[in-house]
Amino acid sequence: MSDYIIEMNHITKEFPGIIANDDITLQLKKGEIHALLGENGAGKSTLMSVLFGMYKPEKGEIRKNGEVVSINDPNDATALGIGMVHQHFKLVEVFSVLDNIILGAETTKLGFIKKKEARAKVVELSNRYGLNVDPDAKIEDITVGMQQRTEILKMLYRDNEILIFDEPTAVLTPQEIDELMSIMKNLAKEGKSILFITHKLNEIMAVSDRVSVLRKGKYIGTVDTDKTSVEELSEMMVGRKVQLVVDKEPANPGKEVFKVENLSIKSKTHSKNAVNNVSFSVRSGEIVCIAGIDGNGQSEFVQGITGLEQLSSGKIILDGEDITSKSIRYRNTHGMSHIPEDRHKHGLVLDYTLEQNMVLQRYYEDEFSKGGFIKFDAVREYSDKLIEQFDVRSGQGSVTVSRSMSGGNQQKAIVAREMDREHDLLVAVQPTRGLDVGAIEYIHKQIVKERDNGKAVLLISLELEEVMSLSDRILVMYEGEIVGELDPKQTTVQELGLYMAGAKRDDGREAKHE
Amino acid sequence: MSKKNNSDSRSSSKSFLQNDGVKSLLSSLISILAGLAVGLVIMIVLACISPDIKASHVLKGLRFLVAGPFTGTHAGTNFGDMVFYATPLILCGLSVAIAFKTGLFNIGAPGQFLMGTLVSLSIALNINNSDKPVAGFFVWLIAVLLGMVAGALWGCIPGFFKAVFGVNEVIVCIMTNWIAANIASWVFSTQKHLHAKGKGGYLIKTGETGNMTPDLGFSKLFKGSYVDLGIIIAIIAAVVIYVILNKTTFGYELKACGYNKDASKYAGMNEKRNIILSMAIAGALAGLGGTLYYLNPGIEFNFNAAYMKLPDYGFNGIPAALLASSNPIGTIFSALFIRYLAQGGDHLVSAGYNRYVADIIIALIIYFAGFANLFRGILSKKKSAKEGK
Repeated sequence: MSDYIIEMNHITKEFPGIIANDDITLQLKKGEIHALLGENGAGKSTLMSVLFGMYKPEKGEIRKNGEVVSINDPNDATALGIGMVHQHFKLVEVFSVLDNIILGAETTKLGFIKKKEARAKVVELSNRYGLNVDPDAKIEDITVGMQQRTEILKMLYRDNEILIFDEPTAVLTPQEIDELMSIMKNLAKEGKSILFITHKLNEIMAVSDRVSVLRKGKYIGTVDTDKTSVEELSEMMVGRKVQLVVDKEPANPGKEVFKVENLSIKSKTHSKNAVNNVSFSVRSGEIVCIAGIDGNGQSEFVQGITGLEQLSSGKIILDGEDITSKSIRYRNTHGMSHIPEDRHKHGLVLDYTLEQNMVLQRYYEDEFSKGGFIKFDAVREYSDKLIEQFDVRSGQGSVTVSRSMSGGNQQKAIVAREMDREHDLLVAVQPTRGLDVGAIEYIHKQIVKERDNGKAVLLISLELEEVMSLSDRILVMYEGEIVGELDPKQTTVQELGLYMAGAKRDDGREAKHE
Repeated sequence: MSKKNNSDSRSSSKSFLQNDGVKSLLSSLISILAGLAVGLVIMIVLACISPDIKASHVLKGLRFLVAGPFTGTHAGTNFGDMVFYATPLILCGLSVAIAFKTGLFNIGAPGQFLMGTLVSLSIALNINNSDKPVAGFFVWLIAVLLGMVAGALWGCIPGFFKAVFGVNEVIVCIMTNWIAANIASWVFSTQKHLHAKGKGGYLIKTGETGNMTPDLGFSKLFKGSYVDLGIIIAIIAAVVIYVILNKTTFGYELKACGYNKDASKYAGMNEKRNIILSMAIAGALAGLGGTLYYLNPGIEFNFNAAYMKLPDYGFNGIPAALLASSNPIGTIFSALFIRYLAQGGDHLVSAGYNRYVADIIIALIIYFAGFANLFRGILSKKKSAKEGK
């Protein structure tokens, strides 16, 4: 018997223009939590796709319990007891939790599903691992955290021994992350082996036994978690020393750049306002952050001020001018830059090349067009400049199709575009979502630089750490209202959490309006 | 394609086969051959079960199908006709293609085709210039331009409903198709002075009023074929559409809207205006197709049947566009290819197969040509597997 339940030895996988995995070895012990760490585009997803039989590697072998196995498609992987919780869940929204769990693995009698037995098994598993899931609730009605636990139950129901978690915490609130961590520890205690893909170092330190690090498709090494540090890991991952704490001078705010007055937006899903009577202002040279748990009106608010969504009432003022009823293009060309929340939906035309995306708002300007014809040389030159300046990595440079780029580099491209455009206000919505420490450090530095250059920055973030370290003022949004204004230097994460959960609110400003 | 990051050892052996142009040409050829092979199988099966067709007819049939149009005494005429009939097909193909690029499915090309026909024929047939060739040319020019305008306006209707009210363009297109068909039948049935004598349900031809498309001597060159100036206009249209889509800021916007409506809105583009404009251009192209087809001096319009049957050219624009992956220049060739097969089908009849069988076989070949992407995928896979070793 081998020490390892799964071994991936010397895996090499190439794509045109790029070697995604270059001689990578990953060994998973039984009953351990093994973190796979790497920047975006380091080859983590490719490696997992190889393990799942979705890609065939050019070189290398996979062993289970010491024996070489051949995995040609995901069914082979499932048969070997390998299960995965994807970053984007694979659940049927209108089905119940139970239906989703048994989907594809139904036990039947004369063509009828034996739901009773399935239900008993699900309840038993749920209790044993402390998953706390209601089998009869519909997926669309339950929280993201519970949806994720449903995914975990799916794997357990199929008696999988090897559980892969692909960036599981990206979508969770801080409390849910803590819960997930303890669930993972429980699973390992019960003998399950866990592969945990992430680039969040503190989670690795909290939960994993060992860490394997990939960088640019290469295997850097495997270390025991208790013998390493956050600093060492981040250096292994990025290849240089990384500054983990945002280094910034005190803010030096100037004139008021941006102001909203009594802004309200109707909700599309319920009768209450998604954004209700919000007023505040942002001055030049300061970073104001709207904090809050996902779904409390931040998305609608941003869409309202950027012109993507209709306001039901209120006023938006930019550089002293009322832009409430102006077009999106007018806002774009009169001082507003916007790093959107959803980079695939709004930020990029994925089937366009990188250079085409770099001029998404500016293609018609004199710099890039003449008489209605695009000046391709000028576009290429500009795009090459941004790629160089913001270190956007891709297979083929400016002509890379954006869809084929890693998420982090797609985000960097958007950040590059929005920061380089002429603007006075930068609206940045979760600018570092799904990025690795190297990229986060870079983007944070850029945002602070923006501020120091006298721009006004409105940051919308769900990451508490980001909120605390980056902002000069924090506004907390709860159920569409600003319920508190905090000074990051004088508040704590706990206090912020109370505001975010709606357990505490300033009685001043907001209450008076009602 | 830039390949600056490829490692050097592989790039030399790869460059030819990895070339996109070579790959698509190869895959198109393979898919056409596969289509022909299936057609051959069907011809053999029919020869076996049908008492009328002898085994010897099979090879003869295949020869007729492939080489028929270009052998024998009528080769010139056949070639000219292939080009002529490809003209409206190219234009309808372009119509579908530009809408596709903007993310719209223009199944309304038949209606736009008919509205172009209606307006242009109303002008060209109502003014008599039979002995004044210069005046005839100008009337023809006006008829062509207004035919395009009519098609464009007709195309705007589904575009407008889609952009403003979010109504699916396919539904509106289908409805406007039938409205156009009935309007055409109705208007022409009331204009009794335009009806051809001794031939119920047909209009007179532009040859009789002198406001016809100039043939530039093509008909002499191709021995009495219909071919005329229209094909040049169609090719110019294809080049213009290609340039619009690939070189202009307007084309950049259209494609951005087609690929990702939300992102183009975010970028400040007016996606509603773009949807309407795209459908207007699509309508103008299909309208031009109908116009050029019926302004030919030898083609007659059957107004009696119009309300019962939508014109094939409008619908066949869809496979013409799809075969070319919505590439405007490619649409010229896919339309010619479809018409080439149709000409071959006509000859198949002389090998004992009936007209319907010929159509089935042609349809199958087009169907297989649609697998070009599949074959392309297989080609790429084979190559990458080889390189892996």
